[in-house]
Amino acid sequence: MTQATTAYQKPIPLKDIDNAPYWDAADQHQLALQKCDDCHAYSQPPGPTCAKCGSGNVSWEQLGDDIKATVYSYVVSYRPFLPGFQDELPTIIALAQLDNVPEVKIMGNILNCQEKDLEIGMPIQMTWVDITEDRALLQWIPVTN
Amino acid sequence: MGTIKDRYAIVGVGESERSRKSGTTPLHLALDAAHAAIKDAGLKPTDIDGFMNYNEGDSCTSHQLATYLGVRPKYVKDIQGGGASTEMLIADAVALIEAGQLNTVLIYRSMNGSSGTRVGRGYDPDMLQGALSGGSFVIPYGSASPSQWFGMYATRHMHETGITKEHLGHVCLSFYEHAQRNPKAFLHGKPLTMENYLATPDISSPFNIHDSCLELDEGNAIIVTSAEKAKDCTSKPVYIMGMAARQCHPHAHYWNDIDQVASDYVAEELYENAGVTPDDIDVASIYDCFSWVVMRQLEAYGFAKRGEVGDFVAEGNLKIGGKLPTNTAGGMLSEGYTHGMNNAIEIVRQLRHDYEGTDRQVEDCKIGICTGWAGPDIAGAMILRN
Repeated sequence: MTQATTAYQKPIPLKDIDNAPYWDAADQHQLALQKCDDCHAYSQPPGPTCAKCGSGNVSWEQLGDDIKATVYSYVVSYRPFLPGFQDELPTIIALAQLDNVPEVKIMGNILNCQEKDLEIGMPIQMTWVDITEDRALLQWIPVTN
Repeated sequence: MGTIKDRYAIVGVGESERSRKSGTTPLHLALDAAHAAIKDAGLKPTDIDGFMNYNEGDSCTSHQLATYLGVRPKYVKDIQGGGASTEMLIADAVALIEAGQLNTVLIYRSMNGSSGTRVGRGYDPDMLQGALSGGSFVIPYGSASPSQWFGMYATRHMHETGITKEHLGHVCLSFYEHAQRNPKAFLHGKPLTMENYLATPDISSPFNIHDSCLELDEGNAIIVTSAEKAKDCTSKPVYIMGMAARQCHPHAHYWNDIDQVASDYVAEELYENAGVTPDDIDVASIYDCFSWVVMRQLEAYGFAKRGEVGDFVAEGNLKIGGKLPTNTAGGMLSEGYTHGMNNAIEIVRQLRHDYEGTDRQVEDCKIGICTGWAGPDIAGAMILRN
C-alpha cells in the first residue's frame, strides 16, 4: 500500500546518527535491523552500541520487504495527542512481534483494521506508507486469507 | 542501605490547597506546603539545612524556596523527575545526613499540573523524538501520552494474567471510596459506581478518565531528619525501616520488553533492607498514575500472586477494612496528584494515627509501604513504621 500525501501533518521520524540506516531502509520499503557482531543480539530501536552487551561492533542486517508478525500488545487511542491524528480516530497503536525474529518487537499503527477485530496474537504484515516525497513510514496491516 | 534501619525519620508533612486553577505560581504553592510541613514538625525554617525538589521544568527551584523561607541552606538539589522521585530524594537526604553533610532536609514537589504544564495532554513531538530513548520509533505513530505508553504494558499484562476492565474498576472504586472520607480530596463528593465506571468511554484503552490520575495545581512537602534529631520535633516520628531507591529496567529500550517493570527489582531489595515481608504491611500507598499500575505493583511487591491480583482487588482488599488498605486518602486517582508525594504524606499520617476516632484511620496500623513508579523503567519504594 503506497499513497502519496501532499500535506503530512504527523511527526516525521527523525533520522539521527544511530537510527539512519533503519529509516533509510524504510524509505526504500525495506526492513533493516541492527545486530551485535559479538553477542549476536538484535537492537531495536537501534543505538550507538549493543544494548545487551555494550559492544561497539554492531552492523545492519537487511530483512527485505516481506515481514510478517503478530500483535504482541496494543492501545486504541481515542484522543489525538499529536498533530495529524485528529482526523484518524481511533488510532490503533500496536507492538508487533516479528515471526522470523521473535525477540524483536516494532511499534506501528495497524491500518485497515476494525477495532472489534483487533486481538493479541493476530497475524499482521508490514507495509510502508509514503509520507513525503522521499520518506516512508513502516506500518502494519492485518493478514487476510 | 540496610544499616539505616530505624535511624532516620519523616518528621513533618504538609500540602498547599489543591485546585484546577491555583491563580498563583509553584513557588507560592511550595511555600504553603513548606510552612505547613515545618509547622507540623515543630521546627523553624532555619532548622532546615537542605532543600530538594523534583520537577519536569514546571516548578520553582530549591534555592528560591529556601530564599523565601528566609533560610541560607547548606545544600540545594533540583532533579528532573516524576514518580519514584519522592523515594529517591528521601534516600539522597538520608545519605547526606548519614555522611554528616546535613541535619534536616525538606523535600517538595510543587506544580501547576492543571493550569500550567499538563502531562496528560502529551508532550512536544519534536522534543520527544530526541529526548525519549527510541523516540522516533514511537512518536510518529501517535503515541505521546503516558496513557498510551502504559496502556501498551497493561494490555499485554491483562491478556496474560486474566485481569479485566472490571478489575481495574475495583481499584478506582476503592480509591474513590476513600476520597469520600477525605474532605480535602479533589473528588470528595463525587463517588463512583461500577456501572458508571464501565459506561465511561476509554481515552486510551484500557484506560478511561477514572483510570487516570487527576492533574491539579498543588504543592507538597516532607521533612526528613535523623532519629536523634527527631526527638527535638513536636510531631510523632515515622521511622524509615528500609528503602530501595532506584533501579532501572534492564533494557535501555523498554519498548522491546514490556513484560518486566522496575518494581520487580525494587521489591526484593526493599523487603530485605526493611527486614519484613508483605504479610507484615498494614497500610499501603501504591503509586497510581493509572489503575493498572497499581495492579502490576501489587504483583511485584508480593501482595497477590501473578494471576490473582484481579480477585485480590475485587474482594475489596484495597479498602479500609480490607487486607491491604491502599491509597487511603483517595490516591492520585481521586485525592490529588504530585507525582507521588501526596501518597507518601498519607502513609505518614496513617502511621501517626492522625485520623484516630474517624472512619479514615486504618486501625492499629504499625507498618506501611509507599511505592513510586516513574514509568516502567524506574521505581522506588520505602517501608515505614511508627
